Amino acid sequence: MLVSRNWLAEHLDLTGLSNAELDDILTFAGVEVEGISEQGVSSDLVVVACIMQTDPHPNADRLSVTQVDAGEGELRQIVCGAKNYKVGDKVPCALPGARLPGGFEIGETVMRKVESRGMLCSAVEIGTGSDHSGLMILPADWETGKPVHNFVENDTIFEIEVTPNRPDLLSHHGMAREVAALTSRDLKTVEIPLAELAPAGNALSLEGQDACPFYTAVTIRDVKVGESPEWLRTRLESIGLRPINNIVDITNFVLHEMGQPLHAFDAAKVNGGICIRNAGEGEIFSALDEEDYKLNASDCVVSDHSGSALALGGVMGGQDSGVTESTSDVILESAWFDPPSIRRTARRLNLHSDSSYRFERGVDPQGVTSASAFAASLIVRLAGGSIEGPTIHAGAPPELSGTVTLDPARLQQLVGGAIPMEKAANALERLGLTSTGENQWQIPSYRLDLQRHVDLAEEIVRVNGLDAIPSRNLAKAAIPGRVDTRYDLELDLKKQLAALGFYEAQTIKLIAESQLPDALPLRPLQDGDIIRVSLPLSEDHSIMRPSLAPSLLSTASLNVRQGAKAVRFFETGRCFRNAGGGKATDLEIDALGIILGGSIQPDFWARRTDDACDAFALKGVLENILPGVQLQLTPADPGNFILAAQVTANGKTIGSFAQLSPSRGRELDMEFPVYLAELDLNRVCELRGDNSHVVELPQFPGSSRDAAMEAPAELANAEIEKSIRKLDESLLVSFACFDVFRDSTGEKMDSGRKSLAYTFHYRAADRTLKSEEVDVAHQKTLRHLEKTLPISYR
Amino acid sequence: MKEEIAQIQSDALSAIESASDGQALDQARIAFLGKKGRLTTASAGMKDLSKDEKPVVGQLLNTARCAITDALESKGRILQDEDDRASMEGLDITLPGQPLHPGNLHPLTQLKDRAIGILRRLGFALAEGPEIETEFHCFDALNTPPEHPARNEKDTFYFGSGKLLRTHTSTVQIRTMETQPPPVRVIAPGSCYRRDEVDKTHLPAFNQLEGLYVDNDVQVGDLKGTLEFFYRAMFGEETEVRFRPHFFPFTEPSFEIDARLQLKGQDPEWIEVAGCGMVDPAVFEEICKARGDDLYHPDKVTGYAFGMGLDRLAMIKWGIKDIRLLIENDARFLSQFS
Repeated sequence: MLVSRNWLAEHLDLTGLSNAELDDILTFAGVEVEGISEQGVSSDLVVVACIMQTDPHPNADRLSVTQVDAGEGELRQIVCGAKNYKVGDKVPCALPGARLPGGFEIGETVMRKVESRGMLCSAVEIGTGSDHSGLMILPADWETGKPVHNFVENDTIFEIEVTPNRPDLLSHHGMAREVAALTSRDLKTVEIPLAELAPAGNALSLEGQDACPFYTAVTIRDVKVGESPEWLRTRLESIGLRPINNIVDITNFVLHEMGQPLHAFDAAKVNGGICIRNAGEGEIFSALDEEDYKLNASDCVVSDHSGSALALGGVMGGQDSGVTESTSDVILESAWFDPPSIRRTARRLNLHSDSSYRFERGVDPQGVTSASAFAASLIVRLAGGSIEGPTIHAGAPPELSGTVTLDPARLQQLVGGAIPMEKAANALERLGLTSTGENQWQIPSYRLDLQRHVDLAEEIVRVNGLDAIPSRNLAKAAIPGRVDTRYDLELDLKKQLAALGFYEAQTIKLIAESQLPDALPLRPLQDGDIIRVSLPLSEDHSIMRPSLAPSLLSTASLNVRQGAKAVRFFETGRCFRNAGGGKATDLEIDALGIILGGSIQPDFWARRTDDACDAFALKGVLENILPGVQLQLTPADPGNFILAAQVTANGKTIGSFAQLSPSRGRELDMEFPVYLAELDLNRVCELRGDNSHVVELPQFPGSSRDAAMEAPAELANAEIEKSIRKLDESLLVSFACFDVFRDSTGEKMDSGRKSLAYTFHYRAADRTLKSEEVDVAHQKTLRHLEKTLPISYR
Repeated sequence: MKEEIAQIQSDALSAIESASDGQALDQARIAFLGKKGRLTTASAGMKDLSKDEKPVVGQLLNTARCAITDALESKGRILQDEDDRASMEGLDITLPGQPLHPGNLHPLTQLKDRAIGILRRLGFALAEGPEIETEFHCFDALNTPPEHPARNEKDTFYFGSGKLLRTHTSTVQIRTMETQPPPVRVIAPGSCYRRDEVDKTHLPAFNQLEGLYVDNDVQVGDLKGTLEFFYRAMFGEETEVRFRPHFFPFTEPSFEIDARLQLKGQDPEWIEVAGCGMVDPAVFEEICKARGDDLYHPDKVTGYAFGMGLDRLAMIKWGIKDIRLLIENDARFLSQFS
């Protein structure tokens, strides 16, 4: 909300209170000042000048060269771009050295080879009003050469964030009341005539009582609609409002003065009387913003006896019912509308006004009639005419504020005894509350937010400031729970991956539907397993990611496009899905995703290798982060990928492994093989967390034996491992493949076969094995393999 | 015989001494100690000696053999050292080292860990909750009126099921109190979502860190002390922190926190870093209803809660001007946080 300092000063004496102090006082009482701007010029170098002569600029069609009298005894030549003046007009002239609002300093210049010694200004340029269409033409009686600020009042405009609980601050009177309370100053009394009130009878009927419990109307006959006087236009313009005509300007003025929205109807357009009713389902309302709105039964309209809607109650007037130049009789509405009802209507129609803004937050129910009386008296004063009869009303202002009990013990607990009760009571009194007995406080009608003890406590803390309350810091012992343990394990994992040369990525969990084919979910997705947001911001962020792979791929692609020769990223985090085709909903699973591709080592002058990472590079990373775990890849249906496998740890599936199809890689500008792994993060953390026991180092040496064998090309290493494990030879402590040879040409070996070499390590815990013992165990192993698998030894 | 041995020893030592490389040294070894070497041949003459002479000559032969062997070894080491030194010639140590694949934790992870570390020091435990939430946990239980703007489909992501993406981590306050009896002292970092268009300072998904402390005597002073400690630990001991009264539906009194910080190349200024307040009794009443007991009755417990934007904190801490850098994962950006 914009607040004018001059306007505020009509309500209380601000002498001795600088703008910065006012800013601080309000901000530290929870009324945040977001900006301060100066209006008008304070510089003595912006003076009233009379235009004595004007000639076309010799070198520019759009410019003129003027000679002005700035009261200096001789004429001053200034180049000017405006056209809206004539010789003899008085205009603001900024002399060299003048500083205009916004910090712009005027100098002597040469414009297109013509000297210009100053600047003639528009209203905007000297910070008064909003007209920037041409020079500001000043009244002829302003004395040439005198500073403009002798004639035009300067102002300071505060831009204030009013929190939703404080609708009482949405007016200059309300803001003044707050400043008065915070600075212990007195509010000036504003004379408001008392209105004569009478029940409405037939002229006013209230059918929509829920939305509008209280409605008043007063008729003013024979008004003369015209331009508002300057003081009124200045007030409105200072807070950015455009003056329209005196009647409308008065309603706007009273809204910003007292916080009560008003509406003025042209009485000639009101047929019979006024009826406040719920809108018909589908009723079309043409608002004065020239848009049509489709209403429903929860909206409240102000209509006449013909049934046609004059206004959307509390939100906006109708296109045809407002005051125009030809209006002579005015019906002035002042009412109280129910906040939730206005909020619903304004939000549904996306139709917001200064009125709806206040009604949906809650205006002072006791201010309805005084605002009406004030506005009516202003109309009579500024537009003539006379008030016809009493102000008619229907319904009654709701009683929303009563007595609230302040609990001293709870208050002292809250503030640690730092605010004595006298100071607390003083704060409440300053805010307009009155004590009605032992810790009982009567709440003023405009403070709808004060309903409970805690609301009073807040006011007391707010007014006294937090500096009054000493800081206290009591640390407590905290035993790490499940989430803490998991966090630590995850962080350790991330650090290890970083040490292995991977960057951690963090991506947005909302992805595009078109990215779904890149998904590598822990378990396959069926129809109905994808979770879509109802109203996405854009197609790019429309579904909850079921997998990390899509975002890792776009991360990799972005980096390759920036010149990266290798892509090495990981991400941990939530993935979202339904399961069983939507039977189980909104599952959130934490996953670890890794992407790897490109150069196996960064370029180095001493050893060059152009080798790109292969599947075993990523498998090696998985083995590295899961030490001591029997990790295996089991080929699976590749789907959109060129290769896919299940990742098993100690025989249980913990995720998926895949190689991107080269065609998709090329789409993403990745010309090298790209590998992805996506694992269940909880399982990975569990497996890594289970390393609590240490194995003693062997006391006795062991011996190794190698074996070379020939096998069909399709025989998997996993089969050999499985067979050896099944044998469970007690002396065999480890084994590993160390060579694989295949010849696709068939020259050295049948292309359907391969040669494998394994090394076996034998050891006993309690003695040094004799050579013969090793031989026996080794032969047993070899014979077992030969028996169970289609292999032969070479 | 004795003279001969002395001569052989003397010749051998001078041959070894004059050997200029490994090959010459090896030739000297063969010439004296080889199968047909002079000392070996001389040793063969032992068998012709008398019983009395044998020990004496044997002694001499042994001494000579030791002397020659020692000289060979010693010269061998000298020559090897010379070779070693020669092999270093021409090495340009100013050439670049072998690069390894770089890698590190995302700046948000680093910042989050730092924040968690500070708060753990004060005895906060981690808590978590789902990101796809119910309206109850996100709004109702947090005293948010039914018509509150935040509930709007234009501000919050909803699903067909009626659930929504949590707009703040305050949902974890409710989740925690529903399942744990007081006292609770938890922090919950996590993702939140709001329907904001992507620009330099907004993303539809961002990260918050929530804090909640509920016990039988939690005061405004505790809130102040904790957050002052936090920002001083985060930004330096001299950091000034101030509390401005504000309004949130789920705390009363509520505050916004400003820290006086110096961004790179700028004068120090007050920057809003968090929102906080004392838990509103209405929240405790909702918890009592949800739990079906009165452990959290506002007469029995008080508490404070705070929430801060981690992305914003990261942007302040490192002077990051565009929030999108935090989700693009450009290695040229990430590598700066090693």
